[in-house]
Amino acid sequence: MKRYFKTVWSLAMYFSRRFFRDGVALFFTFLFPLIFLLVFGALNRGSGNISFDIALLNHSNTDFSHSFVEQVKKEKVVKVKEKITSIDEAKELMGRGEIDTILELPPDFGKTNEQGIPSGKMIVYYEEGSPQSGQTFASIMQSVAKGINSKFVSQPEPITVQAQSTKTANLSSFDYVFAGLIGFSILSIGIFGMANGFAADKKTGVLRRLRVSPINASQLILGTALHYLFIGLMTVALMTIVALIIFNFNMRGDYFTYTIFSGLSIILMFGFGLAIAGWAKNENQSAPLSNLIAFPLMFLSGVFFPRFLMPEWLQGFSALLPLSPIVDGLRLITTEGRTLFELGPQLLPIAIWTVLIYLLAFRIFRWE
Amino acid sequence: MTKVKTKVILEVRDLKKTYGKNIVVKGISFDVQEGEIFGILGPNGAGKTTTLEMIEALRPIDGGVVMLDGLNVAEQPGRVKEIIGVQLQSTSFYDKLTLVELLRMFAALYGVSVRPMKLLREVNLSDKAKSDVPKLSGGQKQRFSIAAALVNKPRILFLDEPTTGLDPQARRNLWELVQNIRDKGITVILTTHYMDEAQLLCDRVAVMDDGKIIALDTPQNLIKSLLKKGFKKDVEIQRANLEDVFIDLTGKDLRES
Repeated sequence: MKRYFKTVWSLAMYFSRRFFRDGVALFFTFLFPLIFLLVFGALNRGSGNISFDIALLNHSNTDFSHSFVEQVKKEKVVKVKEKITSIDEAKELMGRGEIDTILELPPDFGKTNEQGIPSGKMIVYYEEGSPQSGQTFASIMQSVAKGINSKFVSQPEPITVQAQSTKTANLSSFDYVFAGLIGFSILSIGIFGMANGFAADKKTGVLRRLRVSPINASQLILGTALHYLFIGLMTVALMTIVALIIFNFNMRGDYFTYTIFSGLSIILMFGFGLAIAGWAKNENQSAPLSNLIAFPLMFLSGVFFPRFLMPEWLQGFSALLPLSPIVDGLRLITTEGRTLFELGPQLLPIAIWTVLIYLLAFRIFRWE
Repeated sequence: MTKVKTKVILEVRDLKKTYGKNIVVKGISFDVQEGEIFGILGPNGAGKTTTLEMIEALRPIDGGVVMLDGLNVAEQPGRVKEIIGVQLQSTSFYDKLTLVELLRMFAALYGVSVRPMKLLREVNLSDKAKSDVPKLSGGQKQRFSIAAALVNKPRILFLDEPTTGLDPQARRNLWELVQNIRDKGITVILTTHYMDEAQLLCDRVAVMDDGKIIALDTPQNLIKSLLKKGFKKDVEIQRANLEDVFIDLTGKDLRES
């Protein structure tokens, strides 16, 4: 028994030693997730305000229209694209996605009537294919118009809305995105790292040579798992440090829970890589298979956007996927400070998936 | 050869291997004595490698019995693997690990410790201790492969076509190495399709063709019995051949690194 684990440990140690001498592997394991982190972090920097790029075409010459344009330009949520003169030009830009909507003020906009009250109708154009931004922008303009109207026509408003931001959680949108990015790197180390490297070793005959010795498959698998657990935890640590330094990541959980939970997650994802690599005869089989499994997980498990944004039927389905409890759990730890004992709903599916995938992986493992 | 026959270390009885309808090894039997160099000869596809891999517990035995130093290979593959050393025909080693590290890793697979530099000296690779396998020449790779097969101090060493693809200098060097290993008391079983190699190196040879052993004796006896049948070479016997010329011109020194 002692010899069994000594062999496992030596294998893990030599695998890690090889790994740290492999520039390509280092790049894809450490730098690649870091680049992801930097890109997504930069995109989600700040308070996460929504803003619209618009074209503003003012065909009116009234004083009111001019001061209205100035007012719109001061709006924080609006970025007015300069030097657009015709509606055709604006529509072309919108077609290319450079602007979200077009706001047009017709020639009679802001003309005053007998009582000295300005009136007019502004037109909001939006791309048929993406109605959300146009409609949102239109409703913003609606409330702007309503505000102006109330200054001229006083009417009691029984129901009003007051928007007030609360800063109780003090979390930036980056803090929410971060858990997904960690989930992503755990997925890619477990599935892509394992599946491709191991399948290549099969093809070159390295595994054949190991098999000559009295080790059995479980020792090889455990040794490899230990190695991946080690580099997986290193990646998580590295990403967390970068997040803390560059993006002011606000870690609410304790690092003990975070480490244990990440470790369990890596072991589960490694199981998938193992099942693929153990079955595949070479990289030609393992590469497409790992993509086939990793991509749905990536998009359905809340890695890039939270699962609660999905339609309900999809939420129900995606909750069953193995990566979902990983990402959910990481998010609960980092943003809500949950501890291991409060993560039962996440740890249970992780445990079930781990048992299932390792049973399968040991069954379909082939040496050559 | 006037070797005293001591003890049978490998006993193969009626060994069979089938792939679907294809019978690759058709019930062969032979014994190997402890301390001898035993050759299995035959053209490509004769079943040499399959036979070896069944004896080495790498492939399931479909029929017959293999007893290796008193162990039934089919029943105790793990214990058999402990006492044999194997050099595979098509194999490779992890890159990015030095030869020393690889030997230590292989020793760990057997749960033993090893003196890597001593082993590397034995196969004349001490100056390559810090290289990794992809940087070795063909002959060096084969010698390292033998060193790796010796980490567990095996009773029997299996070499599958150890000199295929090597230049004449490297071949001679490897022959010497194999003889040195035998002199240390390790039984060597090798396959080859070079007859000069078999004649020079092997105490006894089994000739295999189409999954069967068609002859088994010392090289001298096999030649004698052929001559008894009245065989004569078409060409007048020369006292040197082109390889002798080649070695005379280029010397015996190894050409590598």
